[in-house]
Amino acid sequence: MMLEDELTVSTRERDGVAIIDLSGDVTTFAEEKINNAYREVTSKGARNVLLNFRQNDYINSAGIAILIGIVTEVTRNDQKLAVSGLSQHFQKIFRMVGLAQYAEIYQDEQEALAAFKAQA
Amino acid sequence: MSASACSHASLELSLPSELGYEVIARDAIAAFARRLSIPDERIEDLKTVLCEVCVNAMEHGNSLNPGLRVQIFCRFEDERLVVEVLDQGVRQYTSGARPLSIGEKVAGRGSLRGMGLLLISQLCDEAGFVPWPGPGNRFRFAFHRQPGHDLHG
Repeated sequence: MMLEDELTVSTRERDGVAIIDLSGDVTTFAEEKINNAYREVTSKGARNVLLNFRQNDYINSAGIAILIGIVTEVTRNDQKLAVSGLSQHFQKIFRMVGLAQYAEIYQDEQEALAAFKAQA
Repeated sequence: MSASACSHASLELSLPSELGYEVIARDAIAAFARRLSIPDERIEDLKTVLCEVCVNAMEHGNSLNPGLRVQIFCRFEDERLVVEVLDQGVRQYTSGARPLSIGEKVAGRGSLRGMGLLLISQLCDEAGFVPWPGPGNRFRFAFHRQPGHDLHG
């Protein structure tokens, strides 16, 4: 029996920011979906990328490894990365593993978009 | 749960080594921890730690062989929730070398994986492998009901 959880990943653009919406569990099963979404927005010329988490009850170290991979690509491509929508617990986890050094953490999408705009 | 009931509280689970089952165990043990009045914030930490330990046992201990089991034993003692996770030890694993920092990972100096043991050590009050005649690996971690609780105070 496979217990793979559904992660829904979608992309959109708002105020010049490429938003990748992530709804569901971020685990090893998420790798292809997240990487494909990042490649898609990058191929369209995204300079600012927002990972917008929604209802994420489970982000494990394998999922964090995928996000570190995105950080690596963002650094290589000279893009800006931010994250929003994380629960207080996962904000703590992101700070603990050092992801916050590479991606600003915002409470929600609005706050992140305002910050991108202020930096422009 | 009354103090008397807490003193006898225990729970045992057995899972196949298939990714995803750790979530079922997580939810059961979180419910158990709530009955023991572990604070909500600590239950979130417990959920993350339990999943990391279970995935390590499945992946590294049992090499993701679904025929091999991961056993979880929980008990409440000395005002703390103690959890032991046993695999069937296809291979021994330990914390091993120093984990790479995220800076080193981003710089391409090693695997992107390997943050699990860091999370475990940071989130719980006690954690480590337990000497065990085997076969298998036995990992124990604990959460104090009150943060900073002195077991011998």
